[in-house]
Amino acid sequence: MNESIHPAMAAVQEAPEIDGEFRLDRDPFLETAGEGNPLARRLDELERRAPRWRRLGSRTVSPARPEPLRPPISRPRRTTPPLSEVELPERRDLWDRLLPERARRALTSIAHLVEGEGPYDRFGFSAEATRLALPWFHALYRYYFRVESRGHENLPEAGPAVLAANHAGLLPFDAAMSAVDVLMHTDPPRLVRTIVDRWAGELPFVNVFYARVGQVVGTRENFADLLEDGQLVLVFPEGVDGVRKTVTQRYRLQSFRVGFIEQALRARAPIVPTAVVGSDDQAPILFDVKPIARALGLPVAPVTPTFPWLGPLGLLPYPVRYRIVYGEPLHFHERFGPEGAEDARLVGYLARQVRRAVQQLIDRNRK
Amino acid sequence: MTRVLVTHADEPIGRRVVKCLFHDPRIDSIFAVGDGPTPRAFDRFLAAGEGPTVTYARVDLAKHRAASDLFHSARFRAAEIDTVVHLPRHGSGSQVQAPLVGGLSERTAEMRLVVQHCLEAGGVRHLVALGSAYVYKLHPGNANRLTEDSELDLDPGVAPEVRTWIDADMIAHGEVHNDRLRVVLLRAPTVVAAGGYAYMNPALPVRWPRVRALGFDPICALISDKDVARAVQAAVHARRSGIYNVAGRESVPLSVLARWTRRAAPPLPHPVLGWAAAGARLLGSRRALPYGGGALRYGFTLDTRRAERDLGFRAGDRIGLARAGDGSLQLETASST
Repeated sequence: MNESIHPAMAAVQEAPEIDGEFRLDRDPFLETAGEGNPLARRLDELERRAPRWRRLGSRTVSPARPEPLRPPISRPRRTTPPLSEVELPERRDLWDRLLPERARRALTSIAHLVEGEGPYDRFGFSAEATRLALPWFHALYRYYFRVESRGHENLPEAGPAVLAANHAGLLPFDAAMSAVDVLMHTDPPRLVRTIVDRWAGELPFVNVFYARVGQVVGTRENFADLLEDGQLVLVFPEGVDGVRKTVTQRYRLQSFRVGFIEQALRARAPIVPTAVVGSDDQAPILFDVKPIARALGLPVAPVTPTFPWLGPLGLLPYPVRYRIVYGEPLHFHERFGPEGAEDARLVGYLARQVRRAVQQLIDRNRK
Repeated sequence: MTRVLVTHADEPIGRRVVKCLFHDPRIDSIFAVGDGPTPRAFDRFLAAGEGPTVTYARVDLAKHRAASDLFHSARFRAAEIDTVVHLPRHGSGSQVQAPLVGGLSERTAEMRLVVQHCLEAGGVRHLVALGSAYVYKLHPGNANRLTEDSELDLDPGVAPEVRTWIDADMIAHGEVHNDRLRVVLLRAPTVVAAGGYAYMNPALPVRWPRVRALGFDPICALISDKDVARAVQAAVHARRSGIYNVAGRESVPLSVLARWTRRAAPPLPHPVLGWAAAGARLLGSRRALPYGGGALRYGFTLDTRRAERDLGFRAGDRIGLARAGDGSLQLETASST
């Protein structure tokens, strides 16, 4: 067999191997070249004069040690202090004069959510930007939508929780009113982090405004991250289907997405069914011109009694009265645990349970 | 005891790394190389009677011959270097504009040559490379907190500056599982230094005019140069292979970062920037505009838990504005302990 192999190759096969490498001092090519070969002598000489830095024995670094199983590092949760412990800052400008003392205390309290020295949290939330925006939304809350709310005792004082609410209206005033309501009726104040659709992240200016007032683009990672931080997350499980509802479908919930159930189970967070009554009447859609929506890449191309007849002004909501009701928290995680999130049928079933709870709250509070 | 070679030691982060390693009692000697003359900051290290011995050499690592001469030099062999810390070029901003080296950008060529010579050199067992976190794909639906396993931006339309980071990153990434060399790749976000300096942010180019995308203000994760040096120090001693995100606690919008670094970044409509970059590419310009990809529109922060767990590194610096002696507000970094 060896006769068919070149002598040099045979020498390679027989050469001693150390840690996967051939030793330089047993170069098979030199051995087969013969002692009398001038080239071999020259190579020998060069080899002797060559620096020895390559000859350091094994070139293999120590093998990686088997990793012991270690629990993941948990991040410290940032919390807000109770209103009684907040030192009220002096009124700086007109914006501060427009806000009641409780709202100013709440703003000071939620500023503690920002980690580090900078004035922004990692999602872009800014307590200062929220201070500038809150007087407007507080005025809308109090005088335009005349919001009534109840069930605040169902909002957890601390820790992660998911508010699952119905969604309607062309502009998301239901989210804004819910956020103001929670801020004004919780102690310690809680900042609602609304999960917004991904396409909102592409809208110039809108994406910046959303980020500054605490809204977060909806990805699984962001959702899990917020719950891990112990935050109060508001989701609209109907998604854009809720916005597309026409006037004949008012207050009839569309099918719920299931992602929020998975996240709540994994984070062991209670789900608070929330009904926002009034948002379905703020901009009743007569028709949704789907071909135009598809052509423009929009979720909906609505025709309302005022839009597009009045131009952009026609998108403004009607001054309807809002009623926000928080239902009893659903502690699915206590019964099914985090592993329940892996069961698609269970998750779908639980999503339908939440939907039923929200629908019941809406039906009870519409009259 | 560890003997370390530090590349681009004459640049701001390199000087900080050398300083950090100089005060580390576990370091025996530091072999620093850079493009420029010996930094004045090294004078006290070079003349020091105590601590590790520091040697500085002027080497252009993007040149094959120069890199080869360095790694085969008697001086290098005598130093018995066992750890190489490769810091990318970051202070001069010339990596995109400079002529390409062998078809590669300078940053990529340097990384390739350093990895190649580390593998060939007998004594080098450990390579610590600093990369950029802007290699991650940024889009409207990206997670806010990116992990080491997040998707990289392999879009051909990505900005040339980002492309060089990705190429260099992938060269180091390819050797992470090599059993002949331990490779630690650190991915850092925008590095800031006291006095109002920001490095390694493609949205804040050094030589090109700074602009922002109108209607967007992405959040930028920050890390101080001192924390980068500490992360490198931790990686030198960790004796591990892997990719690690390192970042500080602070994150600010791009507009604020531009203000902190005292260079205006006027907003322009993003389509205009995209058209300009595409036009430059169509014209075959190597001086392609550094605007493109998602860095101007979509922000991110980094999940640093892997570095905390494996390297024992946790950022300790606070970053913010402080009043300077003349009464002006300046970007400052300070230890939180």
